Amino acid sequence: MKALILTGGAGRNLVPFSATRPKASVMVAGGSLLRRSIGHLREAGVTDLTIVTGPNGDKIHRGFGEGSELGVNLSYADQGQPSGIAQAILAAKDRFNPGEYLILVYGDVVTSANPYPQLLQSFNSFTGPIAAVCLPGPPTARYGNVYLSGTRITRIVEKPTEENLGNYVLAGMFVLPTDLFGLVESAGDMEAVFAQLMAKFGLHASIWESGWIDVESPWDILAANQMVMDTWEEARVSRDAVIEGNVTIAGPVHIEGGSHVKSGAVLVGPCYVGRDCYIGNNSLIRNYASIGPESTIGYGVELKNSVLFGRSDIGRLSFVGDSVLGEGVDTGSNTVTINENLDHSPISVDLRGESTRTGLKKLGSFIGDDVKIGASNTLAAGSILEPGTIVPHNATLRGPRD
Amino acid sequence: MCGIAGVVSGQPIEDRLYEGIHHLEYRGYDSCGVAFHNQGHIEIRKNVGTVDEVHGKENLRKIASHVGIAHTRWATHGRVTRDNAHPHHSPSGEFVIVHNGIIANYKPLRAGLIEAGGEFVSETDTEVIAHLLEGQYRKLGDVERAWVATLRLLEGSYALAMISVHDRERIYCARHESPLIIGVGSGSNYVGSDFNAFIEYTKNTVILDDGEYGTVTKDSYSVKSLKTGDPVAKTITVVPWDPELSGKSGYPHYMLKEIHEQPQAIRRALHIGEDEIDAVAEMIAAARRVSFMGVGTTYYVAMYGQYIFAELAQTEVAVVSSDEFRHLDLTDENSVVLAVSQSGETYDTIMSLRHAQARGAKTVAIVNVIGSSMARLVDRVILQGSGPEVCVVSTKAGLVQMVLLTRLAIAVGVRRGVVSAVAKREFDDALASLPELIESILNERSGVIRAAAYGHAKKDHWLFLGRGIYYPIALEAALKMKEVTYVHAEGMAAGFLKHGTLSLIDDRFNTLVFVPPAEQANLHVATTSSAEEVKARGGFVLGYTFDRDEDLYDEKVVFPAAHPLVAPFLPLVGAQLLAYFTATALKRNVDKPRSLAKSVTVA
Repeated sequence: MKALILTGGAGRNLVPFSATRPKASVMVAGGSLLRRSIGHLREAGVTDLTIVTGPNGDKIHRGFGEGSELGVNLSYADQGQPSGIAQAILAAKDRFNPGEYLILVYGDVVTSANPYPQLLQSFNSFTGPIAAVCLPGPPTARYGNVYLSGTRITRIVEKPTEENLGNYVLAGMFVLPTDLFGLVESAGDMEAVFAQLMAKFGLHASIWESGWIDVESPWDILAANQMVMDTWEEARVSRDAVIEGNVTIAGPVHIEGGSHVKSGAVLVGPCYVGRDCYIGNNSLIRNYASIGPESTIGYGVELKNSVLFGRSDIGRLSFVGDSVLGEGVDTGSNTVTINENLDHSPISVDLRGESTRTGLKKLGSFIGDDVKIGASNTLAAGSILEPGTIVPHNATLRGPRD
Repeated sequence: MCGIAGVVSGQPIEDRLYEGIHHLEYRGYDSCGVAFHNQGHIEIRKNVGTVDEVHGKENLRKIASHVGIAHTRWATHGRVTRDNAHPHHSPSGEFVIVHNGIIANYKPLRAGLIEAGGEFVSETDTEVIAHLLEGQYRKLGDVERAWVATLRLLEGSYALAMISVHDRERIYCARHESPLIIGVGSGSNYVGSDFNAFIEYTKNTVILDDGEYGTVTKDSYSVKSLKTGDPVAKTITVVPWDPELSGKSGYPHYMLKEIHEQPQAIRRALHIGEDEIDAVAEMIAAARRVSFMGVGTTYYVAMYGQYIFAELAQTEVAVVSSDEFRHLDLTDENSVVLAVSQSGETYDTIMSLRHAQARGAKTVAIVNVIGSSMARLVDRVILQGSGPEVCVVSTKAGLVQMVLLTRLAIAVGVRRGVVSAVAKREFDDALASLPELIESILNERSGVIRAAAYGHAKKDHWLFLGRGIYYPIALEAALKMKEVTYVHAEGMAAGFLKHGTLSLIDDRFNTLVFVPPAEQANLHVATTSSAEEVKARGGFVLGYTFDRDEDLYDEKVVFPAAHPLVAPFLPLVGAQLLAYFTATALKRNVDKPRSLAKSVTVA
């Protein structure tokens, strides 16, 4: 069976990262969302993959090529300017044969374990269209409710009432017949496509009970990173990593090859150090820190619950907590991300000009690709720095509450 | 649900049909059989029992023939007999069929055939198809044309596979609303209900859609539209696959599958004939002494029965746990003992039934597994028809048993003149509303219950409180929690609390209160006051309530308004979900909790 992965969405809420990269190339726990999806599909025996890309899609193309490094065959289809899932699906229409079934994957979804064996098993049971559904955790109005009778999906309610929030939702993974393309052409939007699938073919649910996060807002990256790292059970240090004397490693710490951990560093898992990193003397890398490849962490830096996409340089004596740093972000020495309000109230973030409540009591900054921050800077909780921003030395960034 | 397998091969079939239905046993296992060409005729071997049991009697392996079909059955209605087992043959034996599904118009078809002189061996709708097919063949003289003409006569759902002495190279198959697929191997092709039927031999499959039929030879297949007769272009689907998940039909665990199967299982239980229920009601109404027994979940089911019999039938019932029954047994020839068991094999219950029988008591059992020891032992049996229950922790079987005890209580009440015709109609309507109510809980309350479960998964102690008929509900709910999560949970009558247990309550102790609807005023007030007692001691209270405005609880789950007769079922489903989600949050072995077995067949 072949798979179709959609990565072309605009990701309007995923500031400041969506300006320079597709959502699917956001990193969690040392790998991009897309790399994780491809790995799961390959483990489930699905190796013929078509990826639909949108803006900045060349990043994906350059990163994965034909897929030989991942043990899969990748082909690409460009959807141009994104205008919805239906349009994205049609971009790949000519890649599939009539009468076939295909796996459709939304590229911005992260699961705590491989969902495809179960999805395929559902397909095995019903030999008809399948949609993975799940309970998304705390009630949210982001999704419509899926109604089931047994496993049959009877209806999808787009705007559920307040007390029905947080029930079964579409999990962004499907097994569908290639009739899909015809339905998309005639129906236009996905709501109508699903209604027709239900009416014409019957649509069965595959209930996913393990972790599931749809990465929509920047803080979802931290939640997804935690969810994946929570599945780690042991420490794993590459034979090509150099660990100097007097380094403490506790809990599930993953260190990739070519990295150098200097004396006095303390790593408390779960945390991740990508390939070719430098971890300075007396640094503290603790729970849910994920350091992408080719990064340099200076002397005495503390990192916690943060995702660094890679190629970052964190200056000595800095603190980075509850934050996400894009690729190539450098900070001067003594940079501090403030990660809580003094009254412990939940932190709000300014998303596209709108103050948005996160509900989180601890939250640092979201720093776009290639931002350069001078020495001795303090970043207010919930700060967002657009890609390429240059912050001079000794500036204090004010957050939305100031 | 039943399972179909078929093989057309250049080589002898050997064990392939046996393996196929063996892997399909999760779809049903009360009887099975195979059919294959043998020296100019078709030989059928079938019997009652699991695939291995039938193999022991009939030898289903080492088949030398090159073409054959097979079937494993789970009867939801009707008897489990050798005659009713598949495959079924036409009068002359020239056509042999296996079938999964229900032919909606089989009665008029059968009546027509009988009028024309047809004689039937079985009670099945499937045999009707075999008869029709032979008749069409006599008219048309061509197997495929006869197959199409027959299929066009059928209404309802079917997956079919057929072999005929008039075409020894092919299996004919068809699909309408029941699954059927073709497996494409090298030198052999297959048909099956799903991939399990041929998983050891090929992963290449062609999926039939509704309204399509196929013919399969050892090295080719063709699929056509039943409506137009035109060939349908089909692509081979290669299905990677994990045998570990087989049978869960898209659910992460059997427990969740079985929780979600409850609406359908209740619908089936409500279709069990009034006469069957009334025959047992007559025994109970005539008895001087009535005892219910079960053990584990079924003990709480029996206890629910005790309350519902007091309420509806004004009949006093003694409830005894099966393992203690013998020590209390005062039954005599004027007694009826009713046992409840999913498997029908529970050692303690069987021993107790024998004990009661020896004292002259009449015995009844409500069981799920047809042909089980208990079903054969008792004077009367009600088969609940809930389908296989695989998870060690019982959900659907217990709930359906409660529905059946409710039906029994109504029937006894009618016989005793304490349930009027009007009241019976009201109760029947209330029961009929139950499947949809449970569906609405699964669809609209799963999220909030999961959030509560994940939020409180680390608590070490739960107290489950209920009054009146909500007391056995609380007991059963606590058992669910204990079994699957290994978290301590104690079910208790809410009025009992202040006579000792209240001293346990502090802020580390969670309490779940089963609050009846406000219209049951006395019960409601008494229950909420117990909740207040817990709150006053600093305990956390989760309210399972029907009243959205009640703000007494730290957290609450509001259940949809329901008739008081069926209202207790709703928070019980909510408690099953709470136990399930707590278990997944704690990463427990949900379907096989440590130390437990599905059916306890030892002392």
